[in-house]
Parts: sequence; structure tokens; C-alpha cells
Amino acid sequence: MPDKRVIVITGIRGYWGKRLARRLARDGDLHLIGLDAKPAPEQVEGVNFIQADLGNPSLAALLAAEGVDTVCHLDFVPGRRPTPAAFNHNVVGAIKLLGACARAGVNRVIIKSSSAVYGACPQNPAFLSEDHPLVGNMRLGTIRDLVEIETFCQNFTRQAPDARVTILRFAHIIGPTVNSPMAQFLRDKFAPVLLGFDPMMQLIHEDDVLEAFAHAIVNAPPGIYNIAAGDLHPLWRVTALAGKVPLPIFHPLAYTAFRQGRHMPIHPDYLRYPCVADTTAMTERLDFSPQFSAHDAILALAGQPAETPETAEPE
Amino acid sequence: MSDEDDLMTDDALNSPNADLNGATETAHPDPDTAGAPEEAGSDGPAFDGTDPKIRRQLIDELDRLIERIEAMTPGYVPPPFSPRRLLKLLDENAGRFSPRKRLGVLKRLRSAINEDYLDLDTWKGMWYMVNYSLEYQGDIIKRRLTGEYETDEWGMDWEVLEVMRPFLDFLFNTYWRVETSGIEATPEDGPVLLVANHAGRSPWEGVMLSAAFLNHHPTERLVRSLYPTRFAPFPFISTMLNKIGHAVGTEDNARRLLAQAELVAVYPDGYAPSRHKVPPFGWAEIIQLALETGATIVPTAITGTEQTYTALGEASLTTRLTGRPHPLLSSRSPWFGMLSMFPPPTKWFIDLAEPISTADKEAGEETIADLVEFIQVSLADQLQFRRREGRLLR
Repeated sequence: MPDKRVIVITGIRGYWGKRLARRLARDGDLHLIGLDAKPAPEQVEGVNFIQADLGNPSLAALLAAEGVDTVCHLDFVPGRRPTPAAFNHNVVGAIKLLGACARAGVNRVIIKSSSAVYGACPQNPAFLSEDHPLVGNMRLGTIRDLVEIETFCQNFTRQAPDARVTILRFAHIIGPTVNSPMAQFLRDKFAPVLLGFDPMMQLIHEDDVLEAFAHAIVNAPPGIYNIAAGDLHPLWRVTALAGKVPLPIFHPLAYTAFRQGRHMPIHPDYLRYPCVADTTAMTERLDFSPQFSAHDAILALAGQPAETPETAEPE
Repeated sequence: MSDEDDLMTDDALNSPNADLNGATETAHPDPDTAGAPEEAGSDGPAFDGTDPKIRRQLIDELDRLIERIEAMTPGYVPPPFSPRRLLKLLDENAGRFSPRKRLGVLKRLRSAINEDYLDLDTWKGMWYMVNYSLEYQGDIIKRRLTGEYETDEWGMDWEVLEVMRPFLDFLFNTYWRVETSGIEATPEDGPVLLVANHAGRSPWEGVMLSAAFLNHHPTERLVRSLYPTRFAPFPFISTMLNKIGHAVGTEDNARRLLAQAELVAVYPDGYAPSRHKVPPFGWAEIIQLALETGATIVPTAITGTEQTYTALGEASLTTRLTGRPHPLLSSRSPWFGMLSMFPPPTKWFIDLAEPISTADKEAGEETIADLVEFIQVSLADQLQFRRREGRLLR
């Protein structure tokens, strides 16, 4: 029996699954298993692939048999609209996974979430701590699913105190290859901003997302952590650093543009009101510091145009 | 949603202002004949004491501010004007209304066009203003692309403050002729909590507090006023307030600012009681916060601001168009929000009482009650003193 800890990465076919697998395989001291419902088109080195749907009733047995220590749940399909199919895949999948992990006695589950779940409200404090209520806009698919998953996790940990769930809420993820809404926004030809609004923006580099996971696998007390780069910049400065000329539009028009899906990858609320998370827990309890500042992350994004991103899959 | 509707009305259908210097080719019309204050059916309070000379000065000062900004953005030429393009622009914006409401608004606009003061220059001015605002933001940032600018984590931007400084000084010294007392006694560092009353409805009182400290305090301490969350959905207001150092009025923000040893100004009585039954920040919470963070409490009495706002024209057009009483929009400046709530030039007084140190006090119920009473009495005394001096216009 090898001494290596067994880590399962769900959603191994996706952008984040692949990248995390490569990052963890680099260290060489973990036994990695990738899980996905469909077969992986390419094998990642050092990762055993198991094709299994999260709803599979024998998942618990599988996890127990492999002696899984930690599960990194990256099987999430973002979407603009909340659809039943997305709910099934994301939320129900997560619920089933957590149930299976509890039955199999998995040590810990790490879930990738987003600070967007706090919602961008006019009455937000300047720094949102982890216990702030989640009032993200439930009409957005990704947010709705994440809020549902997080709410379930909170109830779950209350009922099963042995279950150790770590939720990482990432700020807007940007970088040379990732295709998140914020990255799309900054790469787009037009950078539409709302006339008269200039909220502070919080970002994190894509590599730091992987580092945060790696760090959490090694040593993280369970709980919820906001993960973001330490420096904050107003939206206008972010667009300026990305080399974009911002295009101010009258704010009601922005909502219309978003509904019609034109040039507005982010919901205008996040370009209007602050949604900045407090990272004290990240530095003190999780003991993690991102390598890239937001400033450098923007420059990294701008330095490589996205004509050929590594993958075209959204975060 | 109704907030957005309100704003739609503001921005899409500006009230006329015959003082408006739209394109540069029109001359300054005589301000005395421009829109007499006592408009028939005006819903705004008649500011019978307004000196046309002061209004003229204000408009001149705004002109100078615009000129300064224009100097920074040379070569701005608005797109060619035509009534049809303007109406199209308005129509696009009015498209957010339901068709019935839109029809009502346009009908009323049509009947208002017959009025005297809605002349071609005014329309041209509106056109210039809307386009200039769009361009203005783009230009200022283009300039700042070369030199990186810094803001602190709260969004405060020293450059913006410097640009606004002459205008703030004008407001402070000439327009409102603010008299202050007790500013020098405020501690130079450490957390300080200014507990102020808020007679008027506008955020300008907080801005004048900032100006007062910049002008009269030995270390020019930055005053971080907490403004109510209801300002946040409007464009320009919250952005501008953040850039000069203010923050949204939530307890978390107050706590964090005090923990960072900043000078925070709060208004426990809230704004005009008509909208908020319960002010967002009760007296007890404020005093408790001060005790917990060890902040020095300074009761601050602001008087002279009781007049609600209308200054640069009449409110009647927007009222007629929307059927609702509405604060006036200033069509003169790119900064819609701040100037739409422009109080008239009465004389203001900002009196700071003796700072109360909380270092030696326990955070108990009795202490809180005592302090609340003490501060309220102190404020009431100061307010009465000023009022008895009879300097107010109403």
C-alpha cells in the first residue's frame, strides 16, 4: 500500500480539472485519480482516469476501495441561464458526491466556488467576510448553482460534523489562458462600463487558483475561505491596465445588453456595486498568499491575446 | 426598479436651464431672466433669499471647473446636433419604461416644448452634456493610462481630490461661507468618530466636513463620511464620494475604518426622516462601536442646511413630465448626481464640540446611554445656539 495520499479530481475533462491534475502531478507525491462521466480524450500524465457519473450509486464503494483521502470537486458547468440540466449536473451532482464521500469516509472535500455568490449589492460593506449572507443574483445560472451547493454544504456540515468540507471562494479569475467572464470582459474589443460607476475590483491569477487548491490539500482546516489577490483596483484602472479603452454606457442599457448577450460577459451589477471579499481568513487560517498581485495578473492577461487560448472552456 | 425609473427620468429628460452654455458658440444668457425661482406650480421650496449674484457666481465657478476639465481634454467636439438625434437618444433611454408610461412622458414633453424656456439652445445644451459626459470619462482615463494612478482600498483617489479642491474651496468659502469651530481640537491621529446631525438631505454636508478639515486642521486629516446606501444605485454620486474618501454607511465599514485609525463621520439621525423610518445607524450602535474601537467621539453640529435642494433652475419641468415631485437635475456639469442635489447658498456652521475620549470607558449599557444623552444634548444646545442667532433663511 503506497504511502501516497489519494486525491480524486472530479471534472477531469474540464479546464480546471486538467490544469489541477497537471499541477498536482508535478509534485509527484500524490496519487491522483481523475473522475468524469465521459471518457477523457487525452490522458494526463500521472493520473488514473475512472469513468464514473457522480450519480452512480457505487461511487461510495469506489471511493472507499481506493482509500481516497481528498476529493477536489471541479465538475461544474457554468452557464448564464439557470437551467434544469445545469442544476442536475452541478447541484445534484455535488450533493450526490458529498453523500458518497460521507459514506466512504473521505477525509475532505474541497469545492471551488466564487465570491460572486455574495452578490454585488449597493449596501455591501467594502469587505465581505465569509459569514456574509449569500445574495448573489439567482437569475444567473452559475451563481444560482453555486449558492445552492454552498447552502447544501452548510446544512450538510451541520448534520454530519465529521464531514470536512472546504469551500474556496475565488474572486474574478483572470490569466493568459482562462476563459472566465472577467477574462472575456477584459479581452473583448469593447470594455463596456457603466457610466458613473467605478467599483473596486478584486481579482486572482489562474495559477494562484491551482496553488490555492494545492495548499488546501496539504494543510487546510475545513471551512470557507475567500481567495483573492491582496490589491484592489477600481474598474477603470483594471481596464486601463488591460489596455482597453472603457466604453461608458448609460447603466440601464447595460442590463439590456447583458440580457441580449451582447458584449457584456459579466452581469452589470458586478461592474456597478462592490463585491470585494475579505481575505483575512485566507492569510491567517489558511496561511496562503497568492503569488500574483491583481496588477500582475491583469498584465499577464493583456500580454497574451486570446486568439488561441489553451482551452475554450469557461471556468 | 423604481429607483432606476427615477433616474431614467432624471437623465433622459433634463429640466431646462436657460443658463446652460451648451455649445461654445452661444453666449451666456442673462441669469437674472433665466427661470425665475417662483415658477408657478413649482414643487420645490421657494428659496426667496437666493441672491442672483451668488447664483451667478456659482454658475461661473462651475464654468471654470468645466473649463479646467475641458483643458484636460482638448479637442472635444460633440457629435452634430439635430433635434431628431436628441429625441432618438431620449427615446432610447425612455425605452426602459413601459409603452404606456413612455407615451405619457413623451406627450408631456411635447406639451412642454411649447413653453418659452425650452428653446433650441437648451436642447443643444442637453445634447452637448449627454455626449460630453460619455466622452469625458473616456478622455480622463486615456490621460491616466500613461501615468498610473493609485487609489487606496476604499477607492479614494488623491488626484480627483486635488482636481476638485478649488471647487470645494469655492463652496466652502464663498458659496456656503462655512464657519467652523473646534476643528483644531480634533486629535491628529488615532480613530475619531464625528457624530453629526444631518439637517439637510444632501451628501454635500459630508463633503463640506472634508473641506473644513482640509482647510482648518493642522494635519489636513481626511474625513471619511458614511453616506447612505440609497445613494449607491445612482451613477456618479457614490463613485465621486468614494474618490474623495467617503464610504457606504454599513457597520462593517465603520468598524473597519475605525480599526484603521481613520476619522469617520456618521449621522445617527439619518437623513430626512421622510424615507427612512429607522435610520440605518442607530445611536446605540454608533456609541458602542466607538467604545469597542477606542475611538474619540466628537459631537458635530451642522446648521444652515435645512433648505432642501433646488438651485440652478426649476424643478417644475421634471415634475410635470413624470407627475412626481423630483429633485432638480443640474444640466450644467458632467456630474449629474452630485449637482442634482444642490442646496441653496445659505450660511453654514460646523461646530465641533470637545472631543470625548473613550479610552477609559467601559462598554456597558449605562455608559452608552450616558454618552448618547450627553452627545444629543450637546448637539441640541449647539443647534439652538446657532438658530437663535437667526441666520437661517426659513
